[in-house]
Amino acid sequence: MTSSVSEVSVLGTANQRDAYLKGLAQTVQAAVPENLGLEEVRSRAASFLNEQTFPSTRQEDWRFTDLSAMLAIDFATAGEFSVTEADIAELRLPETAGAQVVVVNGRVNRELSQLGGLPEGAVVGSLGDRSELQSQLSDRLTQASGSHEVFTALNTVGFQDAVVVWLPRNLVVETPLQIIYLSQAGEKPLVAQPRCLVVAESGSALTLVEDFWGDSTAAHFTNAVTELWLDANAQVSHSRIEREGAGTFHIGKTVVTQARDSQYIGVAAGFGAKLARHNWEIYQTGEQTTTKIYGLGAISATQHADTHSLVALSHPHGMVEQEHKAIVDGKAHSVFNGRMAVAQKAQLTNASQLNRNLLLSDTARVDTKPQLEIVADNVKCAHGATVSQLQSDEIFYLQSRGISAPQAQRLLIYAFAMEILEKIPVETLRSRLAEAIVQWT
Amino acid sequence: MSASVQTLVSQPYKYGFTTDIEADAIPRGLSEDVVRMISAKKNEPAFMLEFRLKAYRKWLTMKEPAWPNVKYPPIDYQNIVYYSAPKTQPKKLGSLDEVDPTMLETFEKLGIPLSEQKRLANVAVDAIFDSVSIATTYKEKLAESGVIFCSISEALQEHPDLVEKYLGTVIPIGDNYFAALNSAVFSDGSFVYIPKDTKCPMDLSTYFRINNGDSGQFERTLIVAESGSSVTYLEGCTAPMYDSNQLHAAIVELVAMDDASINYSTVQNWYAGDENGKGGIYNFVTKRGLCAGRNSKISWTQVETGSAITWKYPSCVLVGDNSVGEFYSVALTNNMQQADTGTKMVHVGKNTRSTIISKGISAANSKNSYRGLVKIGPKAIGARNYSQCDSMLIGDTSSANTFPYIQVQNSTAQVEHEASTSKIGEDQLFYFAQRGISPEDAVSMIISGFCRDVFNKLPMEFAAEADKLLALKLENTVG
Repeated sequence: MTSSVSEVSVLGTANQRDAYLKGLAQTVQAAVPENLGLEEVRSRAASFLNEQTFPSTRQEDWRFTDLSAMLAIDFATAGEFSVTEADIAELRLPETAGAQVVVVNGRVNRELSQLGGLPEGAVVGSLGDRSELQSQLSDRLTQASGSHEVFTALNTVGFQDAVVVWLPRNLVVETPLQIIYLSQAGEKPLVAQPRCLVVAESGSALTLVEDFWGDSTAAHFTNAVTELWLDANAQVSHSRIEREGAGTFHIGKTVVTQARDSQYIGVAAGFGAKLARHNWEIYQTGEQTTTKIYGLGAISATQHADTHSLVALSHPHGMVEQEHKAIVDGKAHSVFNGRMAVAQKAQLTNASQLNRNLLLSDTARVDTKPQLEIVADNVKCAHGATVSQLQSDEIFYLQSRGISAPQAQRLLIYAFAMEILEKIPVETLRSRLAEAIVQWT
Repeated sequence: MSASVQTLVSQPYKYGFTTDIEADAIPRGLSEDVVRMISAKKNEPAFMLEFRLKAYRKWLTMKEPAWPNVKYPPIDYQNIVYYSAPKTQPKKLGSLDEVDPTMLETFEKLGIPLSEQKRLANVAVDAIFDSVSIATTYKEKLAESGVIFCSISEALQEHPDLVEKYLGTVIPIGDNYFAALNSAVFSDGSFVYIPKDTKCPMDLSTYFRINNGDSGQFERTLIVAESGSSVTYLEGCTAPMYDSNQLHAAIVELVAMDDASINYSTVQNWYAGDENGKGGIYNFVTKRGLCAGRNSKISWTQVETGSAITWKYPSCVLVGDNSVGEFYSVALTNNMQQADTGTKMVHVGKNTRSTIISKGISAANSKNSYRGLVKIGPKAIGARNYSQCDSMLIGDTSSANTFPYIQVQNSTAQVEHEASTSKIGEDQLFYFAQRGISPEDAVSMIISGFCRDVFNKLPMEFAAEADKLLALKLENTVG
């Protein structure tokens, strides 16, 4: 057939994408250790995945993020990696001493993790060590809405280990918990699938830092999934920092399920990776929840950063505040899709969303879509989006006070970024990232 | 009070009558033969048949779009009558006296008097009944200043070169599914040509009426404004009440050359179906303006109150440097109506500017979506866009959605988008009640205030009509 000839020559035909996804699924499935259990959820995810195809830009969700470069790379799963203290010493935060989990290519490293500083009752560690939690786990792990998504399902069928954080009722953990996800390059391009489950039972409180880090320029694929469950009155403050290596495809999913009166404050900052995509989904399952999410992306060269957020409100009196900012330089491409869905029951919702983009070069590109879907009538919802370069009058103002133009520009970029970074509750992390922004400009 | 809000709506659709007139309709269905037949009936030049056949063949390869936020049963394209014209119409109308009196009566009833003495002061009207244009008023007076205003069939006979030059240049035949269908079967519409440095001496207007219950209406409007010219154009539409759904797939193309300006206003009041969603028009329309010249300007103003489903995105392609695109819209949905409407502003040239003001009002079980695209190309240095879309919800079963796409490829561009959703609050109504104003009047005042930014852009007579129309449409909705 003539038509099939021309189709094959194009990278990423439907058949090719199907075959690629199947191959990837087989690769990660083959590396699953036997003692983890969870056969049922894995087989359910496998049958879902079987009907999926590898995303193409023809799908609305992936319209601006082209993954076809991945199709040329044959990713293998990682085995054990020898990592020394020197590799991660810089990443440890003094505030989180005694509450640090180190994950290397998706597997918890017991030697480097330090968990002595956690209060009694708090369960933190590798899924493999927590067989007693198995029955409870199955109600939560992989059960969040939004799990029926191709990369989340891929993680579910093939994660080799998971970090479990379980807080019993009314336990307030004072020490912030830090999870360091290290991407280590091997001889071949590797796929790593970190998985994390956080359950904050009613009345408990936690500050969580997730730090994705890598410094290799080799091709690498990180497919991370973090599920957070906030029961009634629970409070979680979550910072997700992504600083992956320049050859990395980073696809991350954060699903937050919030019961009544719970409060979730999240900050996601992305600086690294060749291509980064963060799916951030918040589902409300009870009244009067508070959700505050802040995002920052600072990218340059040919980097691509994409944030897709969803806040689904289905109960009265919800409060949502979202602000997402992007600084785009070089030939980089930033994508933001912020969806807020207010169901009919979610009366008296108060939601606001703001997306601001700063373009620093003529070749940089921004695609944004702040999307509101509202069925309830007694709500206050507002969103806004702006795209522009630095304001010349602002630079002029600073110049008139003796600050040089390049310096003024750096100052303004710094201020733009700090509005988001200052929401991070851990002092050292905040100042390190601020320093990184200064270096970056 | 909340119960009475819901009961305020049921104002009957007063344009729902049918005119009993003998029609010359072709059999149902669509095929190459039908396309040829339409072309032959209209005695079109050869390039037109070629155009239609190309569009038809393209259409066969296309799929109906699935992305709009609307739901409807599959349309049977073979069950539609693609051409229907009143039989008694003479070939060429010398004056209005020759028009079938029933037809004149119909338009009289719609409030569009065509007879010369009664017609709207200083507005030229082209009246389109099902598939053909019935009459165009003030033609001679317009011709004095060189303005061509006639039906597109007439233009194809008398100015084929002009039509050939511009038809399909803004909306290519394969632009989308419904545009391809329209390009294949369009029957009539208006053609406007404003010569160089001419300010059109009066407002132009087209009135569309669907009468036949089985026919679709596929009209095509083409407006060309030569450099330095300007024109204001109004469009109105109604249809009888039928239990079945009729398809209306129109195309409007605007071309503005250097320093030209086109104002295009629509008050759309097709039959919307009954409160259970039975019947009504499917209004799937493609409208696009091309600001081809420097300093040109195209402004769309629309008041969308009718149709069971509205799917339309009047757009501006800003190619000329310093060109300006504007979009002002009020979309009202009630009962089971669905609207997925908005605009596209494509900035290509330098210092191009666009403004989008969209007001959506949804009541009862209706669904109202704003979908817009603002695209700044890599060469659009200094481009500027401001968008604002506000939604108002009346009743807790209606929905309002916004899908604004913003794509920027130039760092000197400034793009701003704002949106909000609100309702008419009990406290607002209470405030009015304190001052002795009934809830009905209060609601109508609040809504007219909400829409004011848009109504201000409408020509005077239209603005008053639109205000009244909204009040009628929303009667019994609030409480």
